[in-house]
Amino acid sequence: MVKLRSRTELKKNIRLICFSFIVLFSIIAVRAYFLGVLRYGELSKRIQNQHKCKIALTPNRGTIYDRNHMELAVSIEVESLFARPHLMKDINDAAKKISSVLETPRSQILKKLNCKKKFVWIERKLNPSRAEKIKSFNIAGLGFVQESQRFYPNKELAGQVLGFAGMDSHGLEGLELEYDSVLKGRTRVMVVERDALGRHLFTEGLKTEDHSEGHDIILTIDKNIQYLAEKELQAAVSISRAKGGTAVVMDPWTGEILAMAIVPLFNPNQFLKSKPEIWRNRAVTDLFEPGSTFKSFLIASALEEKLIKSKDIFFCENGSYRVANRIIHDVHPFGWLSVKKILMHSSNIGASKISRQLGMELFYKYIRKFGFGSETQIQFPSEATGFVPLPYHCSEHTKSAIAFGQGISVTALQLATAYSAIANGGLLMQPSFVKKVLDSSGMVVQENASSFRSRVVSEKTMRAVKDMLKSVVREDGTGEKASVAGFTVAGKTGTSQKTEKRISGYSRKKIIASFAGFVPADRPRLTILVIIDEPEKMAFGGEIAAPVFSRIAQFALNYLHVPPDAPPEKLHSGWKETKIIFPENGQRG
Amino acid sequence: MHSKSIIHNTLIFIPIFLIGLGLIMIYSSSSIFAAQKFHDSAYFLKKQLLFGVCGIICMFLMMRIPYPFLKKLAYPFWLLNIGLLTVVLIPGIGTKVGGAVRWFRLGPLSFQPAELAKLAVIVVLSYSLSKKEHGGIKHFSIGILPHLIFVVPVFLLIVAQPDFGTAMMLITLLFIMLFVAGTPKKFLSALAGIASASAALLILCRGYRVERLSSFLNPWENATGTGFQIVQSFLAFGAGGFFGTGLGKGTQKLFYLPEPHTDFILSVIGEELGFLGVLLVIAIFLIFVICGIKISIHAHDLFGTYLALGIVFLTGLQTVMNMAVVMGLLPTKGTPLPFVSYGGTSLLINMMGVGILLSISSQCDYKTRR
Repeated sequence: MVKLRSRTELKKNIRLICFSFIVLFSIIAVRAYFLGVLRYGELSKRIQNQHKCKIALTPNRGTIYDRNHMELAVSIEVESLFARPHLMKDINDAAKKISSVLETPRSQILKKLNCKKKFVWIERKLNPSRAEKIKSFNIAGLGFVQESQRFYPNKELAGQVLGFAGMDSHGLEGLELEYDSVLKGRTRVMVVERDALGRHLFTEGLKTEDHSEGHDIILTIDKNIQYLAEKELQAAVSISRAKGGTAVVMDPWTGEILAMAIVPLFNPNQFLKSKPEIWRNRAVTDLFEPGSTFKSFLIASALEEKLIKSKDIFFCENGSYRVANRIIHDVHPFGWLSVKKILMHSSNIGASKISRQLGMELFYKYIRKFGFGSETQIQFPSEATGFVPLPYHCSEHTKSAIAFGQGISVTALQLATAYSAIANGGLLMQPSFVKKVLDSSGMVVQENASSFRSRVVSEKTMRAVKDMLKSVVREDGTGEKASVAGFTVAGKTGTSQKTEKRISGYSRKKIIASFAGFVPADRPRLTILVIIDEPEKMAFGGEIAAPVFSRIAQFALNYLHVPPDAPPEKLHSGWKETKIIFPENGQRG
Repeated sequence: MHSKSIIHNTLIFIPIFLIGLGLIMIYSSSSIFAAQKFHDSAYFLKKQLLFGVCGIICMFLMMRIPYPFLKKLAYPFWLLNIGLLTVVLIPGIGTKVGGAVRWFRLGPLSFQPAELAKLAVIVVLSYSLSKKEHGGIKHFSIGILPHLIFVVPVFLLIVAQPDFGTAMMLITLLFIMLFVAGTPKKFLSALAGIASASAALLILCRGYRVERLSSFLNPWENATGTGFQIVQSFLAFGAGGFFGTGLGKGTQKLFYLPEPHTDFILSVIGEELGFLGVLLVIAIFLIFVICGIKISIHAHDLFGTYLALGIVFLTGLQTVMNMAVVMGLLPTKGTPLPFVSYGGTSLLINMMGVGILLSISSQCDYKTRR
């Protein structure tokens, strides 16, 4: 009886065990349903994120060429060293070897290797011989990635115009920045699956259908003219002990910039070695008071409005003239001067009298028409607008100062463009740096046709102004030294005082000497503007800037095979007098 | 006789089916790993195939041996296992893998004495309990103490390896066997109290166990660290969905899941065969357990009852633990899925157990109902 009862109890207990197994298995089945079916969407999304990884394929950055297809900025393939510390066997040994090649402290490399990340850069863009050495060590866990590095084969040439691209091939300054999206091309994204060790398994193909390599850009810059302009400007800056200088060479008929030299020069290969203020293309971004070069626009406006005639004469007060309660001076005292002579001798008093005749409202209208006070719309980063005071904001003194180019600020590019308008008979052209954009196969993607923005004044007026500007460069004019053997030159000198914050007025010592002109005068091929910033010696536009104009023009006209237009006897006398001996071992470097 | 042959055939069929499924899933989940490590993508497949064949032979051998014969072997077998468990701890003899000394290595094969010890404990407990039919079980000195003496040394030797999971499984086995045998509730609760106290102590004295426990409670919070394994397992089930990604098409086995061919093989099944595949596996195991319980109930004698119960309980417990771990219901614990996971010793022992079950089954008398 006892036996039977205990047997029954035993079976009951065993059935209880069986029942609890059924319960446990049911719980597990429910859990499996919960994980596999109810949370399917959420978990499978997570898994995709975990397994898929995107690889960005950066196309090669396009090349920048000059107008004759000479390379100005290129991309070269270099190698970057990375480490995957978790795959490395002996971190200390590896760090020792790497530091011996890279000449960086071992502790610095150890710090990188000891981080918890699965991927660390050791050194970006190594020079090839170092890369070879490190490869020869055959250290597990180290690897190389091909990266493209921007290289400027001509070093300083057009440095500020080109700007530069940084470590990740992003344009940071200049045209590299402005045309970054064009040069860079579209980055493609490749989606690959990977296993837990981070190895890529298979690709799903490229994600962007319309991928493109970086485009090439052909500039309007001419490498040779650019080189000469930089060399001559550099020489003039150093001989006059100036702070810097700017030269712009433009085709007056198209607005194309043939050269834009900024001194001090800047080597974009080593942009970190120079101060950021050197990076700027000051011809576009910086403002200055143009001085007497501005008188040409005053006279053009007055002639256009028929308020004066070329033969009108003005009394120049023998060099000292009171306007409101200030006195305007001329460098040399004059009596009665014709309009032409006012320009030729650059009489401030004459100019302010003409401006009175014209009236500020009209003058303002023409200043704006010549493109001052607004951007030229050249494609370049941070272009300055300039400052033109509104007529009703001007005091009497300011009104007369604007007549000779003080109290107003412009960029070198605006001034060169406006002089081109005089050269081409009254059309304000759209200045440009870029001629064409080519795709990677060499097909033209975009072509910049020359375009003019507006007609400023009539051709007849411009012919009269041009005649006067020619006389400036004749023997007794202020711009005599700008003359070019065999060619007639039209131009205007400028010597303006810089404002100084310290005394909140104009400085006597700090001046800007400039020369703006075009050549050959009657069928112009080149507009050239030369600005010397704060020369200590020869501090007049006619003294320091005009010879630079002459030398650039001389070279460029020869180089472009422009036939001479002046009688041969002039050829001799003109050249002899403008001769300045520049040091031949220029300061470039 | 009819139901007897159904149970008999089902019990032969289930392990063979599961071994077959295991082979497929082992190949699917280990081939890339094996190709990388051993330059042979079928490395684990071949070995498991060999074990599987040996296991099936073992099963039929054990089936032929009349189980009462095991009574005579009970004590020597137990002593042998105590010996083996002691020897494996001697430095230089046992092989250390991942900080635990659990294996004897004989050339390409390795042997895990703790697996065999489970069987020895079942046999010795069954034998001992079957002798205490007449109320002796109610007394501490007769009903409890001898069984404690059988289990505690084995338990301690296994804890020393350390193999916490197997040790706790043995304690649970003892508890269940005593419960079924009708040990008074006061002894059982005392035993349960002592067991849980010692478990808590063992957990706290080893930092990694606490860590495992905390990552179990909050796996997503530390998905890249301690919770990595379990999160990857969740993801595998989630990626599988209802029908699975298809055999061989899973990606979680690509080094995301830890040891996908051993402990986490159910996750691979979940990913590649989906919820349906997992449900099938669960159902098959449940049928196995029910068959085993039936044999236990209808066994010819008490020894057979206890023996069948012990075997089926231990196999069932291992299954539940493995499934619960890969689904995040229990903290991570190295328990293979019986018959399916890669692993020689475990497979052989489980197949021997099935052989014994079949031997008991052949003596069953299913006609006497209750």
